[in-house]
Amino acid sequence: MEFRPILSAMLRNKTGAILVGLQIALTLAVVANSVSIIMTRAEKIGRPPGIDSENLIFVQSYGFGPNYDQRSTIDDDLRLLRSLPGVVSASPISQIPMSGGGSSTNLGAEQTREKVTINTNHFSIDEHGVEALGVKLVEGRNFTQSEIQFNPDPNNSDFVPFVILNKDAAKAIFGTEHAVGKTVYDLSHSAIVIGIMDNMLGSWVGWDKLTQVMLTPRIEAGPLARYVVRAQPGRRDALIADIEQKLSGTNPNRAITYVRPHQFYKERSYRADSRMVAFLSVLIGLMVSVTALGIVGLASFHVSVRRKQIGTRRAVGARRVDIIRYFMLENWMLTTGGVIAGSVLAFAFGQWLSSAYSLPRLPPSYVAGGVVVLWILGQLAAFLPARRAAAIPPAIATRTV
Amino acid sequence: MLAYYSRIALKSLRRNPMLTSLMIGAIAVGVGVCITTLTVYRLMSGNPVASRNDVLYSVTLDSWDPNRPWAQDHPALPPPELTYPDAQALYASSIPDRKVMMRKAAFVVEAPPKSGVAPFLIEGRTTTKDFFAMFNVPFKYGGGWDQAADDGSQMVVVLSKKTNDKAFGGADSVGQTVRLDGHDFKVVGVLDEWAPTPKFYDMNNGAFDEIEDLYVPFGIGQQFEMQSAGNTNCWRDQDINNFQDFINSDCVWIQFWVELRGQAKATAFQEFIDNYVREQKTLGRFERPLNNHLRHPDEWLKVNEAVQDDNRVLVGLSFMFLAVCLLNMIGLLLAKFLGAAPLVGLRRALGASKSAIFRQHLVEVGVIGLGGGLLGIALAALGLWGVRHLYENYDELTRLDFPMLLTAIGIAVLSGLLAGFYPTWRVCRVQPAAYLKTQ
Repeated sequence: MEFRPILSAMLRNKTGAILVGLQIALTLAVVANSVSIIMTRAEKIGRPPGIDSENLIFVQSYGFGPNYDQRSTIDDDLRLLRSLPGVVSASPISQIPMSGGGSSTNLGAEQTREKVTINTNHFSIDEHGVEALGVKLVEGRNFTQSEIQFNPDPNNSDFVPFVILNKDAAKAIFGTEHAVGKTVYDLSHSAIVIGIMDNMLGSWVGWDKLTQVMLTPRIEAGPLARYVVRAQPGRRDALIADIEQKLSGTNPNRAITYVRPHQFYKERSYRADSRMVAFLSVLIGLMVSVTALGIVGLASFHVSVRRKQIGTRRAVGARRVDIIRYFMLENWMLTTGGVIAGSVLAFAFGQWLSSAYSLPRLPPSYVAGGVVVLWILGQLAAFLPARRAAAIPPAIATRTV
Repeated sequence: MLAYYSRIALKSLRRNPMLTSLMIGAIAVGVGVCITTLTVYRLMSGNPVASRNDVLYSVTLDSWDPNRPWAQDHPALPPPELTYPDAQALYASSIPDRKVMMRKAAFVVEAPPKSGVAPFLIEGRTTTKDFFAMFNVPFKYGGGWDQAADDGSQMVVVLSKKTNDKAFGGADSVGQTVRLDGHDFKVVGVLDEWAPTPKFYDMNNGAFDEIEDLYVPFGIGQQFEMQSAGNTNCWRDQDINNFQDFINSDCVWIQFWVELRGQAKATAFQEFIDNYVREQKTLGRFERPLNNHLRHPDEWLKVNEAVQDDNRVLVGLSFMFLAVCLLNMIGLLLAKFLGAAPLVGLRRALGASKSAIFRQHLVEVGVIGLGGGLLGIALAALGLWGVRHLYENYDELTRLDFPMLLTAIGIAVLSGLLAGFYPTWRVCRVQPAAYLKTQ
């Protein structure tokens, strides 16, 4: 192999080699860290919501004036919603999961300040709520109609006698103990756990306690009323139009403020993350292209200034493949130098990002992946100019001086 | 002379069109990406009340839970909002030149029955009268309300421009009535276009949301027993059974700002709130250490982290990308200039001075920088168009304005010169003799 001659040629033109090496190093550092950020965000966006997100519709009504009655409005609305074709189930609901708005309460297995510390998202529903959300009860039982609480004063702080916890909440509060039949406490109330459901996500997608959820059997006081409607697969959009039309005008004392798919909230809550993913993907694409084009440009240029030497080499017996190998090897050596520096840079940059912006540590596999990609990219970028070099006829050596 | 240099530069650039377009393209995408992220960053980090920054203060008191701070990751921060009793007590002070307590509230608007428009919900703000003067809110018609309207919770309303356009077709609606939550409100003012970004006066309820659709006196909210439409945060375990209980509770939900002209007043007011909290401590409230703050808008925007970490990371990455583009350009330029070294040698031998060679090459570099900059601005416009699709309601964040255009050209030319300097310097050091020999 021609390591030695290539190396000495490079050393004669150090600056050029250093520039390409630096460019490759920076590219590796940025790409590895960007991919790491993208993967973290994609993982966050991809968490299963635990509810039948695709088929859920949320409806909000807002009452006004002295003639508005929350309870009768909700009863009428639910009757109407449940009678619509294409509806699997419907329930009142206090908040919209993953929407960025919600309620949470500290709970504990004992009523002491030290124990009541498990922050839990909660959603109030009626006996149809479990089915309407599409969560699965894994233990215990659902609420019954007679257990659904209602207090018309919006400022009351009543609690409920029974609750359903999801697995994560039950685990955080009771550890490995069997939770059904146990009592949970906040600082002034208690309730019996009657059921455990599979995990679902709570209100704030950026919150580390997102996976701890409690369902309570309760219809909230007015003037705001929200419903969750679960549509049969494929009928969601038609149903949204239907609900809008059927509910408007049924009650002069309230306004229907929206009828929206759950997708709307999911997308809105993850918007900052999808934005980051989109932006970084574009950046990676641009960066890799600029670097590759830079390699092509520089290699082409080297070929054009070395036409005479190449011709001479060919004339003294070098085959085409030798010329190609020379340029490919030269590029590989440059890339290798670049990725070695780049790996160091990538980890240093990753370290800084994780300490300054509390981003997760950069996994070494991303750097390794980046190294392989840059090697391949460098070889691909060098191949075209190398082939052009190989096409230089040996006769050129004899022409001009 | 410059014309001659430019002609040489263009000729040299045209000799190798692929290399030239590569260099211009690299600068252009580098500049385009940087300007895109910088524009978003600048608008997020802007101070919409910069002209009144010295006299305005947000007021926060640490009335939170003695067992845990308001924000676990920033334990020194008090809650961003006040309780109703505290807001009332502070509002009674005569030290501030102006003061405002306020909160968000949703209203149902009823159009006249004959219009056929179904009632709809809008976002409003209940506030005291100084809101408009303190925050330099521009009016198109009429104005705010007076002390009497605050004192008597009169049913008067100031509409946003958007609301007035929708409800009255943009006409002067002062004196007309609007039906809100089943009551007739008299329009006293209509705002002109106003888009404070970030929405500094209420950072806890959507820092980049649009302004409210309408404004009514603060007392209306209590008179109608309206729940807050913004975040309400509670920590104390209190029995709340009616609106009065809620109002008297330790829940925080009211934003409070003061205008204090002069340091003496600022000191006096700080003393006033500290004394108020000390007095409350004797009544068993405010169990946390004294932690009350008057913060100017710029500081307020900082502690509320208007600029998200993501944006900082993006700006950083963009500049690293620009660095790669520049390295790319330096490499190409160096190769190109040194490739033409024999020619330079010849010219030097014929009498061209070092500085003439230097200037000639610098002009060539400048042309590349300028071309890259202009193309970069076009790319930034494209990038911002893309960003607008990624940010909802963020049109305000994505305008490419004049200072940003200047910045773009500045970055492009500066980076072009920076990148061109070393290759130019190298080519000037060419020894004519070395090349003349081999030729």
